[in-house]
Amino acid sequence: MKIEKKELIFGVVYLATKNKHLKKHEKEMNMCIRCAYCFEECPVIKETQWDTDGARGKIIMSYGLLAGELEPSQYIADKLFRCTFCRDCLDKCPSKVGILEIISSARADLVEAGYASDTHKHVINNIKNTGNIYGDTEVISQEREGKTPLFIGCQYLGRPNKTKKYIKILEKLGINPVIENEICCGYPMEVLGFREDFEKHKENFQKSFPYKDAITLCPTCTVFLREGYDIDAKHVLQVILEKLPKADLGTKVTYHDPCDFSRGLKIIDEPRKILEKLGVEIVEMKNSKENSRCCGGGGGILMTDQDLSGNIARKRIEEAIETGVDILVTSCPTCEQVLKKAAQEISETEGKSISVRNIEDIIWQGLKKGAEDS
Amino acid sequence: MKIDVKKLKEIVGEDNVRDNIADLYVYSSDASVHSSKPDAIVRPGNVKEVQELLRYANKNKIPVIPRGAGSGMSGQTVPLSGGIILDMKRMDKIIEIRPEDVICKVEPGVINDELNMQLKPYGFFFPPTPASGKICTIGGMIGNNASGIRSVKYGATRDAVIGMKVVLANGDFVTLGSNTKVDSSGYQLAKLMVGSEGTLGIVVEATLLISPLPKFRAMGVANFATLEDAGKMISNVIAAGITPSMLELMDKVAITAVNNAQNLGLPDVDAIAVFECNGMVKEAVEYDMKRIKEICKRNNGTGIRVSDDPDEMTRIYEGRKKLFPSLSKYSEGLFTTALADDMAVPMSKIADTVHEIHEIAKRNNVVMSAYGHCGAGLIHTKILMDTNKKSQWQGAKRAVKEVYEYVQKVGGTTSGEHGIGFSKGPSFKQEKKDSLEMMRAIKKALDPNNILNPHKLMDSPDDWLTATHLRYQVKP
Ligand SMILES: Cc1cc2nc3c(=O)[nH]c(=O)nc-3n(C[C@H](O)[C@H](O)[C@H](O)COP(=O)(O)OP(=O)(O)OC[C@H]3O[C@@H](n4cnc5c(N)ncnc54)[C@H](O)[C@@H]3O)c2cc1C
Ligand code: SF4
Ligand code: SF4
Repeated sequence: MKIEKKELIFGVVYLATKNKHLKKHEKEMNMCIRCAYCFEECPVIKETQWDTDGARGKIIMSYGLLAGELEPSQYIADKLFRCTFCRDCLDKCPSKVGILEIISSARADLVEAGYASDTHKHVINNIKNTGNIYGDTEVISQEREGKTPLFIGCQYLGRPNKTKKYIKILEKLGINPVIENEICCGYPMEVLGFREDFEKHKENFQKSFPYKDAITLCPTCTVFLREGYDIDAKHVLQVILEKLPKADLGTKVTYHDPCDFSRGLKIIDEPRKILEKLGVEIVEMKNSKENSRCCGGGGGILMTDQDLSGNIARKRIEEAIETGVDILVTSCPTCEQVLKKAAQEISETEGKSISVRNIEDIIWQGLKKGAEDS
Repeated sequence: MKIDVKKLKEIVGEDNVRDNIADLYVYSSDASVHSSKPDAIVRPGNVKEVQELLRYANKNKIPVIPRGAGSGMSGQTVPLSGGIILDMKRMDKIIEIRPEDVICKVEPGVINDELNMQLKPYGFFFPPTPASGKICTIGGMIGNNASGIRSVKYGATRDAVIGMKVVLANGDFVTLGSNTKVDSSGYQLAKLMVGSEGTLGIVVEATLLISPLPKFRAMGVANFATLEDAGKMISNVIAAGITPSMLELMDKVAITAVNNAQNLGLPDVDAIAVFECNGMVKEAVEYDMKRIKEICKRNNGTGIRVSDDPDEMTRIYEGRKKLFPSLSKYSEGLFTTALADDMAVPMSKIADTVHEIHEIAKRNNVVMSAYGHCGAGLIHTKILMDTNKKSQWQGAKRAVKEVYEYVQKVGGTTSGEHGIGFSKGPSFKQEKKDSLEMMRAIKKALDPNNILNPHKLMDSPDDWLTATHLRYQVKP
């Protein structure tokens, strides 16, 4: 068989850069004592019950790739992309292994070895071409003059009514947000393993959003602005809590903590205090706050493994229904979307129902009610 | 060995068999230092499937290695000569809870803490408390005869297992033991299965004794300037007829590690003891705590604190709880390995043994810390070393050998809790040299083709270090 020069060059370059992302984690991987503590509440292994699907399995596969004992394959890529990035394993790991950084690096090496999924490639191309995950040039932030930088993020850009509601809430509370013609923060590039694209994108992002502090709407963007850009990002709920007047909505709800809040930013009390201030009683689910269960929507699995994502979400809805209340409130647009779908499926198949709402609706309702009552 | 994967799929269904290299690689290790790939992983869902699988494996002389969470620390589930890993996690039903008989019946894949959660509304719990209880299975606990911080009061898994259903190597199904706490009806075969590490049969159901949840609990801590004083305090407590529900020791390396990593400000002493008493009567708990306090004082204990406030108890226990993660951050470039990790010695020898462990570590250029459920004579150690360095492994090998020689000299035993697998094979075979043939005869009678977890316990290789690959990037 004749090898083309181009192929040969690719081969040499590939071998020289193979596992370049995983290389920096070798020590970290040796810290993994393979205890399986990360199985405890991993939503993926709870669904599949295969060791390969837990954090330990992913670390072992990553180690195998780095050691040359495993060769990159579609099978391994599928396994490494089966993670919702819920951070539960990080809390459970006694050795404090940087599990998610290792998984991200393994993903990056696999993507560079040619194992990116078409769906993921499509999203990344969308960001590169249009600045947002939808690939829609119409999805743009409404630039606004103001004082405090507000970062909207793709999830809210795609839901303009929700964004408007938050802006109105901020205005009502005396905050004057400045909005730029923003582009995606690049988190999907990092989490889906497109690191080279992210490095290029980073510069563009910093040009489009040249601030050192900001208010954010999406929990995941909040984490990423802090960790990826060192921006002092404050989630909008933290800001709202400081200024929100009391109201008496007199309802009962249960609250789902988004993983990036409960385990990422430890924003656990703020949404609860907001609901309390508005006269909303919270009936906690069996697993809440730091121990909250994942909705199944993170880490990219919503795009590539909808069955798995749906099964995880249905478990969460079952838990919410067990509380006996009719409303589930959350504060992340992805959680809301995934949980809404699961709630609908459960309502159709089992006749049990719960309505899923985002916290900004409740806040807006509270502000209106407060104004009417006074 | 040729495994007919199609046949395996016929038995348990397509979704419950894996033979992709990535899965085989993941299932090649547990929490030990070893690694060796199986040929297939199979997840039976019921007794019939287990029987069929074993009939097939026995006929074709294929090794079968039962596995729960794979958290064993001595290579128990590492398939030294390949074969089928029998992942038992799908068989996870709690069959019945009978508080009136103080027993429950479970399948082997039930997780320890899940069982405790289901027992709680009845006011009961399953007493062996392994630190890995949140993820380990009852099958694995039976395999290893697991125990934990409460073993000083409640004993180990063997003390709590009274009956069992087992599939033998040839696929036959047997019921062992009884439903009663006392049983003098001949050989105690259910108890024999406990600690057999999957070498004698596949446990498919277990009858377990459960205990009422204590209503009151108090916890205490004391510092000791010397290990001797701490050791004496521990012996004195047990000899005084007190039954604490926990009696733990942390040595200087452990204290330093916690301080370095967590900045908890634990005192710079040679040893810290943590103790707990529990029971149904508050005054009885208080009385026992008072007596332990007095014994601590008599043995020059300082900084003695006792509390029944839940927050304070959590704070007291914090240091002990944070010990494990701290060890892995003890020093840049040193990693925790599960070697010589759980010997037990007569209570009076605890202090001497911990001293000797430190000397051995120094001699062999590794770091060893000692801590554990010393109230039950159990000493945990971890060897911290640069796992990518060949010379460190040679040092570790010498250290392991010397530690066990010492343990045997003072009348102790190789494993008090985690089991033998093959990491501890050499010491185990030395310690039990005059009963090895008895063990082999039992094994041969039950598993003549030697398919069930071969090369473990009495049949383990003479050199654990070279028996198979290590899971690190090093060839010692
Ligand atoms: C961080 C850490 C802390 C630990 N702390 C403790 C502790 O405090 N106390 C303690 O005792 N141990 C401890 N261990 C060791 C281990 O977790 C326990 O012994 C545990 O009970 C093993 O359960 P498993 O489900 O992981 O079993 P595995 O490791 O999967 O298997 C253990 C043994 O049981 C056999 N086995 C499994 N299922 C069956 C079955 N159905 N039929 C027959 N044989 C079977 C296996 O073949 C193997 O020999 C610890 C381990 C780690 C990593
Ligand atoms: S982040 Fe969540 S889904 Fe991913 S391995 Fe950890 S626990 Fe499992
Ligand atoms: S909990 Fe941490 S140390 Fe344990 S297996 Fe998982 S990643 Fe490794």
